[in-house]
Amino acid sequence: MSFDIIQTALFALLTIGVIGGAAGVVLINRITAAALLMAFTFLCMAGMFVLLGAETIAAFQVLIYVGAITVLILYGVMFTPQRERPYALFFQKQTPLAALVVVPIAIAVALLAFTFRDGGKAAAGGGDLPALATSVFRDFAFPFEVASVLLLAAMVGAIVLVRRDDE
Amino acid sequence: MSVPVGAFVAVSAVLFFIGVAGVLVRRNAVVILMCVELMLNATNLALVAFSRRAGLPDERGSVFVVFIFVIAAAEVAVGLAIVLSAYRNRPTVDVDEIHAMKG
Amino acid sequence: MAPFGMDPAAWTVLRLLIAILGAIFLVFNGALAQIYFERKIQAIIQDRVGPIHTGPWGLLQTFADAIKLLGKEDIRARLTDRWFFLAAPAIVFSPMLASFAVLPFGPGIVGADLNIGLLYLTTLGSMTVLGIVIAGWASNNKYSLIGGLRSAGQLISYEVPQILSLVTVVLVVGSLSLTHIVDAQPGLKINLLILPLAFVTYFIAGLAETNRNPFDLPEAESELVAGFLTEYSGMRWGLFFVAEYGEVTVVSAIVTALWFGGWHGPFTDVHPVLGPLLGVLWFTAKTYFFVLVFMWIRATLPRLRIDQLMSLCWKLLIPVTLTNLLVTAALILAFPQSHIPIAVANWAMLALVIAAVPALQRRRLAALRHRLETRRPAAFISAERPG
Repeated sequence: MSFDIIQTALFALLTIGVIGGAAGVVLINRITAAALLMAFTFLCMAGMFVLLGAETIAAFQVLIYVGAITVLILYGVMFTPQRERPYALFFQKQTPLAALVVVPIAIAVALLAFTFRDGGKAAAGGGDLPALATSVFRDFAFPFEVASVLLLAAMVGAIVLVRRDDE
Repeated sequence: MSVPVGAFVAVSAVLFFIGVAGVLVRRNAVVILMCVELMLNATNLALVAFSRRAGLPDERGSVFVVFIFVIAAAEVAVGLAIVLSAYRNRPTVDVDEIHAMKG
Repeated sequence: MAPFGMDPAAWTVLRLLIAILGAIFLVFNGALAQIYFERKIQAIIQDRVGPIHTGPWGLLQTFADAIKLLGKEDIRARLTDRWFFLAAPAIVFSPMLASFAVLPFGPGIVGADLNIGLLYLTTLGSMTVLGIVIAGWASNNKYSLIGGLRSAGQLISYEVPQILSLVTVVLVVGSLSLTHIVDAQPGLKINLLILPLAFVTYFIAGLAETNRNPFDLPEAESELVAGFLTEYSGMRWGLFFVAEYGEVTVVSAIVTALWFGGWHGPFTDVHPVLGPLLGVLWFTAKTYFFVLVFMWIRATLPRLRIDQLMSLCWKLLIPVTLTNLLVTAALILAFPQSHIPIAVANWAMLALVIAAVPALQRRRLAALRHRLETRRPAAFISAERPG
């Protein structure tokens, strides 16, 4: 189909978005810019999920990561203002040794990644919603309940941790 | 033939390594939390790629990803609560300076 | 299925493009119309006449406002982050525009028939929060920051009853796709007869999600110097404004599609071309009816304080929506064939809520009065001031 070239082009664009955004998060000094680049990375990830046909997961990704976790991180950034000091651990004398170690590992990982093959039959075209819902609520219902208890515990714990003592 | 599954896995690996580098290099605790989120995203991508392309009848990888979403959200909330508590004690979020429990 | 025998894939793309252009057209013209309606309705309810000088019945007033906004000076205060300041209106506006792609305007007239339509809409609603936080932060103004954080807290809190109400409807209908939900309500068998409590809670949560009165504390003119909108002037403020009216239209459209039959109305299947157009007309009419209800509420009710707003969400709406969801799910499992037990239970719960809320409020007010007279006042919620 003529959609293959579009899919490959979209994948290339999304890869640049994801890797560029992640590199920005690690390298950029200004924390608010890093937080927004992280949100951009999450959006490009959602695009990759759509490319894989997992549109429900993509919607959850945007809803949870961009809509909630990014806002949490921005709150954290705003409530802990600091003078920015440049991190001095890059570009030191160990860079050649680091490159010597990292590059073979990177090549090995990339080769390993490309040895995986697609499974026999293609996944159903109707999106992943019915299969996902069946799996979550029927096959994995107990972990689902445990996850909700974990969320409750995390919520109570976070509130208790930030209470002031005079309240 | 659309994008091969190896490409998605390669992107996931690169993203994971960038996240690890960020955790090791950056000193601000909030930025370290952000890099941990990047690592979790990388695993999500790998799981969904394998789950959608393996030809299995159900979506086990995607279910795992849903649970990872839940846990990531809980972890960010509690992690930020800890960072804010530490900030209240001494107004710094530099992880090199928060070492009162060391040694 | 594609008209003129076009390739179905090309028709999908073309349909999406037409939807995007149509959405832009609708949003801007809709905002113009809504600004006029708002001023006229507020005027009539407040016993005045509203705009009457520019054009017949003041119809050209909005154009005059738009031209004024476009001509204003672009004030650049000393900002924290210039790029964030410029980007924030776009981040608030884009999700609202993208929401129009899944709204079913008529039979077969929908931009993109996603089978996760409702999930897509709630996802876009949650992206608006990010834009508001950035707007508050980038203005370099403590009132803007507090307004932005309060608004973000309000939006995040009210997403929960909103999503729970939508999930109740999805349980009854069995599909997340908006076209399926509209198709499940032929003729007079609208979902309002089955799920009125979900409608009421979704409407209240929608009022809060769009920052409309009585929940417009973060952006009201007499509070916090207009909150996160303080530093925005001219067309940037106009963009926020259009985004708010567009969001009101989207929420009204969702209410129409889910509870009032969407584009269903008399004579829609009379003619293959005129029928769908008539469907579009019915959909627009029902949507604008709810937009007018939004404005009616704005002109009538006083504003809630931030702690009243939060306690309304967490202490009233969330328990009510959770109970509604639980009861509906149990009844669907018990009576899979008919909707009548669900309808009976829902109307009963709605009557219970309407009867119980004033009684609970009276009791709470008495307790508060007692507490204020015997102890020092309770601490109010205050936002941290960044160093």
